Amino acid sequence: MHIPDGYLSPSTCAVLYAAAATGWYSALKRLKRMLLTRVVPLISVFAAFSFVVMMFNLPLPGGTTGHALGVTIATIVLGPSGGILAISIALVIQALFFGDGGISTLGANCFNMAIIGSLVAYGSYRMIAAGSSITSRRRVVSAAIAGYLAVNAAALVAAIEFGIQPMLFHDARGTPLYAPYPLSIAIPAMMIGHLTFAGLAEAVITAGVVAYLQAADPALLLSTSGLAGGESLTLRPASGSLRRLWIAVAALMLLTPLGILAAGTAWGEWSPSQLAKTGVVKVQVSKSANHPSPAAVPAGLQKLATLWTAPFPAYAPSFVRSRAFGYLLSAMFAVGFLLAASLFLHRFLPRRGRTEYSG
Amino acid sequence: MKRGFLESTFVGFARVVTRAMISEETARRRGLLQALDPRVRVVGLFSLVLAVTLSRKISVVVALLTVAVAIAILSRVSLFVLVKRVWLVVLGFTAVIAVPAIFVTPGDPVATFGFLTITEQGLRTAAMLILRVETAVTFTTLLILCTPWTHVLKALRAFRLPKEAIAMLAMTHRYVFLLVETASQMLESRRSRTVGILKPAAQRRMAARTAGVLLSKSIELSNEVYLAMQSRGFRGDIQILSDFRLDAWDYLGLTAFLLAGGLAVWMGR
Amino acid sequence: MPVLFELQDACFEYDGIPALRGLSLEIAQGERVALLGANGSGKSTLLRILDALHFASKGSVSFDGQRLTPELFQRDDYALAFRRRVALVFQNPDVQLFNPTVFDEVAFGPLQLQWPKETILSKVAEAMELMGVTHLRDRPPYRLSGGEKKRVALASVLVLDPDVLLLDEPTATLDPRSQSQVVDLIQEWKGSSKTVITATHQLEIVEDIADRVFVLEEGRVAATGIPPEILPNYELLLRANLVHAHRHSHGSVIHSHPHLHSHSKHEH
Repeated sequence: MHIPDGYLSPSTCAVLYAAAATGWYSALKRLKRMLLTRVVPLISVFAAFSFVVMMFNLPLPGGTTGHALGVTIATIVLGPSGGILAISIALVIQALFFGDGGISTLGANCFNMAIIGSLVAYGSYRMIAAGSSITSRRRVVSAAIAGYLAVNAAALVAAIEFGIQPMLFHDARGTPLYAPYPLSIAIPAMMIGHLTFAGLAEAVITAGVVAYLQAADPALLLSTSGLAGGESLTLRPASGSLRRLWIAVAALMLLTPLGILAAGTAWGEWSPSQLAKTGVVKVQVSKSANHPSPAAVPAGLQKLATLWTAPFPAYAPSFVRSRAFGYLLSAMFAVGFLLAASLFLHRFLPRRGRTEYSG
Repeated sequence: MKRGFLESTFVGFARVVTRAMISEETARRRGLLQALDPRVRVVGLFSLVLAVTLSRKISVVVALLTVAVAIAILSRVSLFVLVKRVWLVVLGFTAVIAVPAIFVTPGDPVATFGFLTITEQGLRTAAMLILRVETAVTFTTLLILCTPWTHVLKALRAFRLPKEAIAMLAMTHRYVFLLVETASQMLESRRSRTVGILKPAAQRRMAARTAGVLLSKSIELSNEVYLAMQSRGFRGDIQILSDFRLDAWDYLGLTAFLLAGGLAVWMGR
Repeated sequence: MPVLFELQDACFEYDGIPALRGLSLEIAQGERVALLGANGSGKSTLLRILDALHFASKGSVSFDGQRLTPELFQRDDYALAFRRRVALVFQNPDVQLFNPTVFDEVAFGPLQLQWPKETILSKVAEAMELMGVTHLRDRPPYRLSGGEKKRVALASVLVLDPDVLLLDEPTATLDPRSQSQVVDLIQEWKGSSKTVITATHQLEIVEDIADRVFVLEEGRVAATGIPPEILPNYELLLRANLVHAHRHSHGSVIHSHPHLHSHSKHEH
């Protein structure tokens, strides 16, 4: 899942570097506050550990093998801030020293695997394991699920980053300049590998390690357990710096579809009056007839989906105007909106206690 | 295929360690890059990677690749190593991704085979992708081959990275090799104690146990290292000593890098 | 010579497991002392307490007349002065060598103490020269042999010119030649103003490295005296788990004799 140089445009890289930097900065600040001076040795050794775990070639059920990411273990033991930093450091080492992942795409890789991965792992682990005792089987299962979700979330974000490249960045003749596949290909292509191999590998190793720790050293699981007595290595609800991170993510998800919309208008022969005519919109929808249409789609969503794709000029590659892409952008916008809404609500509603987790 | 993951991970580990040693040899040779201040190398090579990303024309990327090869030769980097360890490997996994684009990208058809159509845009985009990746990776590899890792890290200070980041990168790198060795030893001892090849489920359990033990040891190691750091006066503010000094050649080199990059970006816009 | 370290009924626990249970001792400046004890006797913990890496939960630990407490070490001026005066060489060299290269390692202490750059460069060169590791200057720690690691570890503390050297099992994991090099070094400090406190379970080096011995057992001082008193006391050593009785048979004759952990040759 490490994205090499040349697959993402400079602007994509810049945006993702900014997003990653926000994550790094928040995580570091938070860790320094909690761990004070122990941050450097703890995160370093843990990053080295994650690095080694990433190298395990695990035999998976079904006869294949896969590599885990290690982000879930890092997050469960260190909490999300620690997970973000440890995995980011491992990724930097891999990129610089082993050419695994590019330099321009380092921000993207860290954002996908370290930040999204860690946050999804943490959120799902806490939610599914909520309240269960440290040594319960439920923790092992939730760790596995959290790992699976984390890896696939990271893969999905990476796939989206790939998939929007050809549409946004091509030369005048329509040649994609970076990753050449549209979302309709990028997403399935990326996800298949991760839904099967990588996700499983992560689930397997995370569950295995959690089970081992339950027997050998349960104290290490305490900090993210949400149980009383857990050392505060983890997230307190709606704490300042992490909330800012969620806000950044929400903003990203809200603005990206809008950005694409804007980009589309930049070189489109698009006039507002044309857009207003739903006739034009309907014609374009039918033109993408070679793409499978989902069974029953609410009319409103259909209209919304075509809103994104309508502005693109007729000579743009057809995959740009596919319905699938439109749905995806709508979904992204919706998730971004929900995220923003929940952050907003959480800010203004009374807090309900220590173990409440927001977002 | 069922050689068992133990052996293959073992081989992988060993490869990691050996590869680290090869780099240091090239770094000791007297060539173009080696003569420049590490900060100039880092800034210069990274700006060329940026130029690769910013260029929109295949011809410019090819030109940058030529520059990369020239730098490699002048820095006494073995082209054989470059081809074998870098180009072929990158070609391997990039081609897998790029080749289908030849058929899938809509545009002006060039040739048709049954239901498969090759388009001009498809050819160009595949070529662009492969060339970009190869060139960028070449620049990064040149940096790593010609510069001791510790210098790379200290040179990163030129980018105003926080000291903790540098310290963490350095310490992580230092302990990767220790943990790799520890893990190898654990796997080796288990390997010698088991008869025959383990079933996948058992291998998974072994992997998890190895990872678990490694985790506990890692945490303990970090605690001990922390004590060792405190014992020598560490109070939370990492101090880094770097005695890099820029001379006239460095400024010249830096200018050359930036000019080349700027020219490439301008011509490839 | 003035008393440098004074412990009275010091107690310390790791996560509730007691390591020191009311330990008392006194060490004067310039003494060379050996802490003899098996694993688990508390000698490593004691060294860390003496180095103020941990603080006693009960009882008192004093250095140069000053009680060592966490509050005291929050003061930068005292802490940095103490760190320069008292140095600890850890048993596991991989813990002690956490910097990317040998040079960085030796320079770490001076850097943290914020010495001026020129001073650092010259002092580091001196220390590396002293320990014969100058040629390893740019080597990363994972490419050093056991003996080299130990020499670098020593260089990294000697560069600060400490008054007190705490050595945790300095000869463990070393080949015989490196072992004797370390022993020679400790012998050189005899008669100097340096205080050397060595924790070890290797009885055969005790005479060379120490003028006084503390035998530790279960977190307390079981006995103290000079080497000629302590070393022949087989019963004491057996109780402290520093020797073990060995039984083997020649035909129908059974021999039982004390056996040092070093498994040196024995008489029949």
